[in-house]
Amino acid sequence: MTIKKTLMRLAMTTTAIAFGATMALADGAVIAVVGGKADDPFFAKVKKGIDDGTLVVQAHGGTVNYLMLQNYDNIGGDAANLVRTAISQGASVIAVPNWVPDAQDEAIKAAQAAGIPVILYNSGGADKAKELGAINYIGNEEYTAGLAAGAYYGSHGFKNVICVNTVPGAQNLEDRCKGVSDGIGKEGGVSTQLPLPASAFGDPTAVAEAIKATLLGDPSINGAITISAGDANSAATGIDQAGLTGKVQLASFDMDGTGLDRIKAGTQLFAVDQQPWLQGFLAVTMADAYVNYGLAIASAPVLTGPGIVDSANIDATLAGAGAGYR
Amino acid sequence: MTDPNPRMSLGALLRRPETGSFLGLAAVFVFFWIFGGSNFASPNGAASWLNVAASLGIIAIPIGLLMIAGELDISIGSMVPAGSMTCAIISGHFGLPIVVGIGAALALGAMVGLINGLLVVKTAVPSFIVTLGTLFAVAGLLLGLAVIITGTTSVKLQAGPEAKLLLGHFIGGVFQVTIFWWIAAAAFWAFVLHYSKYGNWILAMGGDKVSARNAGIPTDRVTIILFMCSGMSAAFVGLSQAILYNSAQVSAGQSYIFNAIISVVVGGVLLTGGYGSIFGIVLGTLTFAIVNQGIYYTGFDANWASLIIGILLLVAVLMNNTFRKMALSYAPKKKGAKA
Repeated sequence: MTIKKTLMRLAMTTTAIAFGATMALADGAVIAVVGGKADDPFFAKVKKGIDDGTLVVQAHGGTVNYLMLQNYDNIGGDAANLVRTAISQGASVIAVPNWVPDAQDEAIKAAQAAGIPVILYNSGGADKAKELGAINYIGNEEYTAGLAAGAYYGSHGFKNVICVNTVPGAQNLEDRCKGVSDGIGKEGGVSTQLPLPASAFGDPTAVAEAIKATLLGDPSINGAITISAGDANSAATGIDQAGLTGKVQLASFDMDGTGLDRIKAGTQLFAVDQQPWLQGFLAVTMADAYVNYGLAIASAPVLTGPGIVDSANIDATLAGAGAGYR
Repeated sequence: MTDPNPRMSLGALLRRPETGSFLGLAAVFVFFWIFGGSNFASPNGAASWLNVAASLGIIAIPIGLLMIAGELDISIGSMVPAGSMTCAIISGHFGLPIVVGIGAALALGAMVGLINGLLVVKTAVPSFIVTLGTLFAVAGLLLGLAVIITGTTSVKLQAGPEAKLLLGHFIGGVFQVTIFWWIAAAAFWAFVLHYSKYGNWILAMGGDKVSARNAGIPTDRVTIILFMCSGMSAAFVGLSQAILYNSAQVSAGQSYIFNAIISVVVGGVLLTGGYGSIFGIVLGTLTFAIVNQGIYYTGFDANWASLIIGILLLVAVLMNNTFRKMALSYAPKKKGAKA
């Protein structure tokens, strides 16, 4: 009994000391970061960047509080509520993705009205950041990513590329394909979109066969880019079945293990990456620098993508993927 | 019901349940033959729709049998990715032998089917609702477990040469080996439905379940077995895709729900149950695959693909319905005494 009591007293004292220490250290920035679920593979990499950035914040005597969405059912409203939670917790700066501006803008304005600066990351864009008076936007822009992909094809001598869109009508994906078309256009090439009906979504054979048929129908096509990493696996089979491996070069937006292996093996030209780790890391460290020392990056927006993964940097990317950074 | 008619007259042929489905198939084939050019008619073009039809067909047959028996299974939409992810996680992520992955995927399919069947039989809740529940439950379980185990929603799988040969091989470079699995499955199920007592049981259950039970048919057992078969078929398609495409994703497969039901209905099975044939389902699946894939061989703008698919499917079903009505209302004059 006495041992137990002693242990309990010891534990309580330690907690009190630790608590006191935290309070004492909280002179620095109290950074609230609204973000996606940690079990979402994309946000797992963002979170890794946030965790790494937190080390810097702690060195400056501040704290980082990650306010996580519990699910993605009502993403705009939930994110707005998390922003209001951050306000009531007395955050000194808030980093938040602006997924659904209509639902979130009001809460973001409320934060600024309460004297809390806001930084947009991952989602929202430069124009939105300017409109709301946010510190900056850190993230990816789909159209710019498409432009880079189109330019890569064009400058490598591939002038006729199809953009395989398995969810036609989704704005971010349409932006990607539009960007590819404009990017390759500047290099003197053309890109048309191949929109697939909903009955093909999630059926790799239907996607592969549609790509095969399109390639057989137009022998001048020498490139195919897919809007997701999973579709690239179907496209690889479609190109192979058309007997055009080597002639028609494959690329994808985003990437997975199978795709990285293909780039390593030389059967995929490149992948467009938005580098999520950078989004988390930069959002936290920039918020910290702004609140503590008034530092702000002059470039706006701060684009973390497009990063191109091809044969030149595949080994480093594979190492990064293994460690959870890519 | 399927006794071969001794007199093979044109009238008797037109009254077969499959005739309407066959004419629907012929109509869409001719349509794409005209507009699709030489590529569509080439072996490579044929592979386009046969490959798509094969994996869809393997699922559509047990779904068709369930519909004939008056039930529905939409949990297949989650069972396809569950099958492929189970196989990829066990044999790809953990590196265990591929037979273990295949066995586990099939066992999972059987288990989910068993749960579906038991819930339907014991609770008398409509199977649409029960399998809607398991559709979401399996999808959620799959996502949660995949992320906990592998940290990602997409797992790669490098299967050995034997597994590739049996499940992920292209015959002649273009025809998926899945086509032969489909033919085997169709032959097996055709025997069950048309030449065994179980077939009569299934048809009777769809006609009137209470009477069927009163007549001594073990309706509960048949229902549960049918659900287990559809679960295993979906898992089988999933695992063969994982082996073929060297990877598995959590999200794939939802389109199979609708596609399978469409194929079955185009194939002449009544939505209300009690009527249909395996050959009809096979023809319906082929029709659906040709309509979906043929579009890419034509010069039509792909933006209009869904519109053309919709119209052609309607034409196929209307043709089918017309002939079914003729078949059901027409009575041969010499057998007029039959009530």
